[in-house]
Amino acid sequence: MRAHMRARMRAHMTEIATPAPASAPAEAKPRRVRRRVPHRTPHQAVRPSARLGGPLAALPWALPAFAFVGVLLVYPFFRSVYGSFFEDDGFTSRFTGIDNYTRLADDPVFGRSLLNTLMWVAGTLLLPVLLGLLIAVATHRMRFGGIAQMVIVLPFAISAAATAVLWNFMLTSDGAVNQFLRGVGLDSWAQTWLLEWPQNTLALIVAGTWQATGINVVLFAIGLRVIPRDTVEAAELDGASGWRMFRYITLPQLRAVTVVVVGMAVVNSLKAFDLIWILTKGGPSRSSETLALTMYREAFRLFHVGYGSAIALVLSVIVVASSWAYLRRQMPDTGWARG
Amino acid sequence: MGRVVRNLFVAGCVLLWLIPLYLLVVNALTPSTEYEGRPDWTFQGFDLVDNVRTAWTEAGIGDSFQASLLYAAVCGLVAVLVAAMAAFAVVVLPIPRPAFWFWLIYSGTLFPLQMFLAPLFGLYADANLYDTRLGLMLVYVAWAVPFAFFLIRNQMTTMPPELTEAALIDGASFGRIFWRIHVPLMRAGLGAAFLFQFTAVWNDLLLGITLSRSADVQPVMAALTTLNNAYSSSGPPVILAGALVVSAPTLLLFLVFRGLFLRGITASTR
Repeated sequence: MRAHMRARMRAHMTEIATPAPASAPAEAKPRRVRRRVPHRTPHQAVRPSARLGGPLAALPWALPAFAFVGVLLVYPFFRSVYGSFFEDDGFTSRFTGIDNYTRLADDPVFGRSLLNTLMWVAGTLLLPVLLGLLIAVATHRMRFGGIAQMVIVLPFAISAAATAVLWNFMLTSDGAVNQFLRGVGLDSWAQTWLLEWPQNTLALIVAGTWQATGINVVLFAIGLRVIPRDTVEAAELDGASGWRMFRYITLPQLRAVTVVVVGMAVVNSLKAFDLIWILTKGGPSRSSETLALTMYREAFRLFHVGYGSAIALVLSVIVVASSWAYLRRQMPDTGWARG
Repeated sequence: MGRVVRNLFVAGCVLLWLIPLYLLVVNALTPSTEYEGRPDWTFQGFDLVDNVRTAWTEAGIGDSFQASLLYAAVCGLVAVLVAAMAAFAVVVLPIPRPAFWFWLIYSGTLFPLQMFLAPLFGLYADANLYDTRLGLMLVYVAWAVPFAFFLIRNQMTTMPPELTEAALIDGASFGRIFWRIHVPLMRAGLGAAFLFQFTAVWNDLLLGITLSRSADVQPVMAALTTLNNAYSSSGPPVILAGALVVSAPTLLLFLVFRGLFLRGITASTR
């Protein structure tokens, strides 16, 4: 069933490019002859020995992209890795080996920052992803469900910076949230949301949820729409409904979308900067910093450039490791990826 | 029973999502002189124009707004063109080792920006690009290319190679094939990529605050941050009006081109 769904999800990508051999047996033979050259994939029209130019003909086309990405992203990337082995205050730098990394281990700020980062990841899985799934399932085939989805996805079109400004207005000590709580008689619930750990990180995650849930709803809704009707009807005939339907039919069918949603949500939560920077600047006394913030503060406010680079590398490793399943999905046509 | 719970749940979520938006609009409309230090829950007046004007001129959102419009439009266009050419090279033309080139470009969207910031700052200081519009535009293009490339490449792989082969037999050059066949056939995909990159550049804060300082270079989100830092002195109505103004372009694009946006999202997940 999973394979079936994947095939349907990808049908629009592949049906033109590679017609199934079964459906076109007559064509299979001449095709095979033409595709003998190993370098050529089904998508590439021109063979390396083609009449125009040869293997270097493609280079000018790719050159602008390589120039931009190479000079402004790839070079800085490796320069960061290199720089993380130096103690560098922006003026003088001194090679210190892996000192920056060993310092991380007993830096309480880094420990708190790592803890906050983990809270962000867990919170993202719990709120935007789970809530997104619930809302998508609840609004599926519902009257006005489209409108409800539209409302929830609307903050997606607002920048993280504007979201932060709005939520600052909500969460500040005499802000709308506390005003509301006092208004309904829950005075004891009102608190200084942004001034104490851990509720400042939790409040930030809630603010992030308001912005990030919509996109997950949309993705899950797409996943729900491609579940084959036959499967649902067959399950209904067998007497499944409600929770059992959700647990044994809907959820397994959504597995492919879930990988994407979880991957994207986790990566975005690890990269979250704007929201936290504007709402708390990582404070007070650096208690709400995540790794993204800690790196920025170390490198650009405290001028510990090498130390900041080491934190950036740790963050990058976490990003890549936590999105591995998602990344592998990005490249499903492995034949092509092997080049 | 189940239906009632479901409807209540959806209604509750919609309400929770609408309340902040409602407060944003209500308080951005409150005349800033009448704001009494606590959020208004009902309309107190209709002073949006004055609040926006204050944010626009006194807080310098106006200069940054124009600068960001330039960055987002130009960098979005250039990035899409550059990415489309690279996708053409990797997908259609016989570039050796396409997988290597793919990952080289794609790695740009993978890593957090923090990985590039410190060396970029050094590079920009050396090349006198720090705090210049050109410098920001260059880095925005570089930052926008990888994801645009990813979207366009995915779409280009769906085009039948027979089209290119037929055109080659007719004697068309690569340039002609690109401009006459691929660009027109991929209009929707290129449009979606442009929308995404326009939004990404418009919403950027981190590159802006790292690589620029002066008011006429800083992108609009950086200006909004500066405005927000003066929370108590300028007053929430002006700040919220500023937030509303800087959100208007992307909100408008999203509402008008919703289909194209969703198409881009779908394509990015396959």
